[in-house]
Amino acid sequence: MPPRTPPVDHFLPLTPPMLHTLVALADGDKHGYAILKEIARRTENAVRLSAGTLYALIRRAEGDGLIVETDDRPDISLDDERRRYYRLTPLGRRVAAAEIDRLESIVEMARAKKLVPRPRSN
Amino acid sequence: MSSRADRIFRALVRVFPFDFRADHGRDMEQTLRAQHREARREGVRTLIGLWLEILRDVVTTAPREHVAILRQDFAYALRALRRAPVFAVSAVLTLALGMSAMTGMIAIVNAIMFRPLAVEHPEQLMSISNRAVSNRTVPYMVSFRDLQDYRAETTVLADAIGYTLRVASFKVDDGADRVAIEMVTDNYFSMLGMQPAAGRLIQPNEGRAKGDAPVVVLASWYWRSRFGSDPSIIGKPVRVNGRPFTIIGVTSPTFRGTESLVRVAAYVPAWMHETFVDAPSAQSLFEDRAARMFTVLGRLKPGISLAQARAALDVRAATLAREFPSTNTDVSLRIAPEAQTRPNPQLGEFLRIASAAFVGLAAVVLLITSANVTNLLMARAASRSREVAVRAALGARRGRIMRQFVTESVTIGLLGGLVAIPIVVFALRCLHEFIAGVTAAAALDPDFSVDVRVTVVALATAIVAGILAGLAPAMAVCRSDLGRTLNSGGRSGMNDSGGRLRGMLVVMQVALSLTLLVSGGLFVRSLDHARHIDLGFQPDGMFLASASPGLQGYDSAQRLAFYRSVRDRMAALADVDDAAWISLPPLGIMFQIAQVSPQMRPRDPGWRPPIAFEADVSPEYFATARMRLVRGRGFNTRDDATSTPVVVVNETLASQFWPDQDPIGRLLATDGTTLEVVGVMRDGKYQNVGESPRAAIFRPLAQAVPATATLVTRTSRPGQDLASTVRDIIRDVDPDVGVYDVRPMSTHLDNGNAFFPFRLGAFMTSLFGGMGVLLASIGLYGMIAYHVGQRTQEFGVRMALGASSADIIRDVLARGGRFALIGVAVGIVLAFGLAQLLRGLLLGVRPFDPVTYGAVASLLVAICLIASFIPARRATGLDPLTALRAE
Repeated sequence: MPPRTPPVDHFLPLTPPMLHTLVALADGDKHGYAILKEIARRTENAVRLSAGTLYALIRRAEGDGLIVETDDRPDISLDDERRRYYRLTPLGRRVAAAEIDRLESIVEMARAKKLVPRPRSN
Repeated sequence: MSSRADRIFRALVRVFPFDFRADHGRDMEQTLRAQHREARREGVRTLIGLWLEILRDVVTTAPREHVAILRQDFAYALRALRRAPVFAVSAVLTLALGMSAMTGMIAIVNAIMFRPLAVEHPEQLMSISNRAVSNRTVPYMVSFRDLQDYRAETTVLADAIGYTLRVASFKVDDGADRVAIEMVTDNYFSMLGMQPAAGRLIQPNEGRAKGDAPVVVLASWYWRSRFGSDPSIIGKPVRVNGRPFTIIGVTSPTFRGTESLVRVAAYVPAWMHETFVDAPSAQSLFEDRAARMFTVLGRLKPGISLAQARAALDVRAATLAREFPSTNTDVSLRIAPEAQTRPNPQLGEFLRIASAAFVGLAAVVLLITSANVTNLLMARAASRSREVAVRAALGARRGRIMRQFVTESVTIGLLGGLVAIPIVVFALRCLHEFIAGVTAAAALDPDFSVDVRVTVVALATAIVAGILAGLAPAMAVCRSDLGRTLNSGGRSGMNDSGGRLRGMLVVMQVALSLTLLVSGGLFVRSLDHARHIDLGFQPDGMFLASASPGLQGYDSAQRLAFYRSVRDRMAALADVDDAAWISLPPLGIMFQIAQVSPQMRPRDPGWRPPIAFEADVSPEYFATARMRLVRGRGFNTRDDATSTPVVVVNETLASQFWPDQDPIGRLLATDGTTLEVVGVMRDGKYQNVGESPRAAIFRPLAQAVPATATLVTRTSRPGQDLASTVRDIIRDVDPDVGVYDVRPMSTHLDNGNAFFPFRLGAFMTSLFGGMGVLLASIGLYGMIAYHVGQRTQEFGVRMALGASSADIIRDVLARGGRFALIGVAVGIVLAFGLAQLLRGLLLGVRPFDPVTYGAVASLLVAICLIASFIPARRATGLDPLTALRAE
């Protein structure tokens, strides 16, 4: 009998590296190194994960059912070495979204208290 | 370059746990390689940054991953053990038994050999002692003058201290305590680097000048227990041995002194020796190189090795031997780390051998218990093979399953260790109480506490025992054909190697138990031999009680009056045959020795005056102890302080000094006094029962009035308890003189040097051996029961075909008997090896004593047959039809 899926709240809050990892997988399957590069690129090198940390994260996310290993290879030509690819599960997607909601509500609260300015809408 | 980096990456990945590596190792290596390639393109700074980052990452991540997996495994192991409570409890208790034996011995050895003194840099402290030469001419202790000369070796020694232990009466306002007091050289506390908890400690040259006020420093524990840590006690007057002293300070609470066996209550400057004891030779103590009284510790200079110190001090000792041939010719030094010379340099070596032997025995017990747990685990593994097969089919790796099995047995080991702790603490408390009760004269207080060092070793032992017990079953399970197990509906798919292993374990258990029991038997035989040795006196019916009138500050005349009065009143009692005093009874843990030489020294230049056992006795002693005079006379009341000093010698001394001559009327010298020989006593045993014949002298109590003496009473009714009678009489004569160590001679012999070593050896080895046999028989029983269970169907068929119960029983017994015999054979070889190691601890019995070996071997075979008979019996009790249906 598979274990019952725990509620999304159970996983919150996520650590920033975990959230970044899930976000990195949101637009397609990636292998570990690609996740690492993607995070560095999107944050302009502000967040840089090391290999050990990354695979420990992947391991945890896999164990929690947030991501799964996939056999599909998006583009063999981009990939000269055989690597494991990971895909965001529906649960992983919900958890990431919930975390972002949580962060947004904090940001909203901070703006209401004028801790940070509202972005100018253009 | 890149290949070297690859190698480093591979090594780094290997730091992670097995499962992690199996899942992500290759990816991680590739990622590291890719990062490395990129960083190299960007320049050296980025490259260095990457390397630092990678190292930091591995150092922080890998341990966390290990812990995470370990936590999972432990949780799983605990769940599995909870599901099998009977198995869990029996395995944990079995291992706890072995762990208690081992941890207990480790705690004792720690106290004896490893716990550093609570002083500054204890590792720099070296014991400097005289090597006891073969003919016992020099005691291990060092004279004050020699100590000063060794201190001058400043190239190797930072400093050296001397100290010597005295029992004293300590009196403040109300009631006197009998305590151990250390007389210390004035640099004692400064060299040890100690600070006072209150007041001040002893200062250089304190008490050296005549007329210096006598001072005393209290040990912290005594200050607390006797004075409630009252700071106003500093400066108060006290009476030590009836003389006025002033308390000047208290040692720090961490300081436990430099004695390993004795609890010291106070410290007095050695310069005040004369004030402290009224020995007539006190003046010469600081001048005479033959007055060897100090235990010496030197502190090595930083950077100086033991060998360098040895070399320098050996040269110094040789120089002294040339300059002072009359006293120092025989002095050669033994320089050893302080911890190796506990409780004193002479006993230290013997004690180390004995403790190593006992730790070895405890390790054997632990091995037997581990083997039993292995057996339990094997049985359990066989019944769990289906669970394992299912997990393997679901994708669990074999390595992971093995790891889980071992984690389970390590959990059992740790739980066993946990259970063992209270057992050990209790056992050590009993042992401590026993040792403290051996004699009230010496304030014995060894520190057997379980400290960090013991805990760490015990923990490591628990883990190792767990791994040892669990490794074989784990390997057996993983080697077994898992597919076949699943198909056969869960019946064990383990191949025969499992059964072979269990057989080997049983053989090992039988062999090791035999080894332990043989050692026990050898000690029992030694004890028996010791009890039948002619001691030179008749111990049955003798009763002892000690008293110290000298510690009340009484002078010779007062002491003698006390001794006489008590003796006469005791002898007048109806049940008492006779009564007498002796300075220290023979074969105790304390004794008196004297360096003696005949007036005419033998012409042989190599001749040295021997160290003789000395006892000062009242005239009635020889008759009371039933000792046999072979020539001359004993003492009478006319041998007193005013008459010629006389002595009774034993046969050994007489034949050494005056071979083939009549010793009566000859003169001998000891401690500056000349004594006339009036009698020759038959040889006896004086310090221990195993000693070869040695010289002994007896002097009249009235001519050498000791401060402390023991009343010896012979009753016509052996076994009668005279304790209250003795106490009453002494209280009647003088209520101020305390009585202690009131006991029959048999107790004195049992707990003293005479029989105690053999009793301890016999007790420990029998205890361990008993545990071993119990466990081995359980192991054998389990194996045979399992074997019978497997063959139930076969037995059913055979009985249905007409085989009798006797056939089946014979069959099963033959199997059990075979293991027993192999075990016994192996055990005899092992026991012979162990007995060789114990040789020095035995008495009057050869290491290969056929009686012991035969008796133990038959006992073991009998027990093994009984253990096999029970399951065999059960097998034949089955109805053949039921047995056939068992499938």
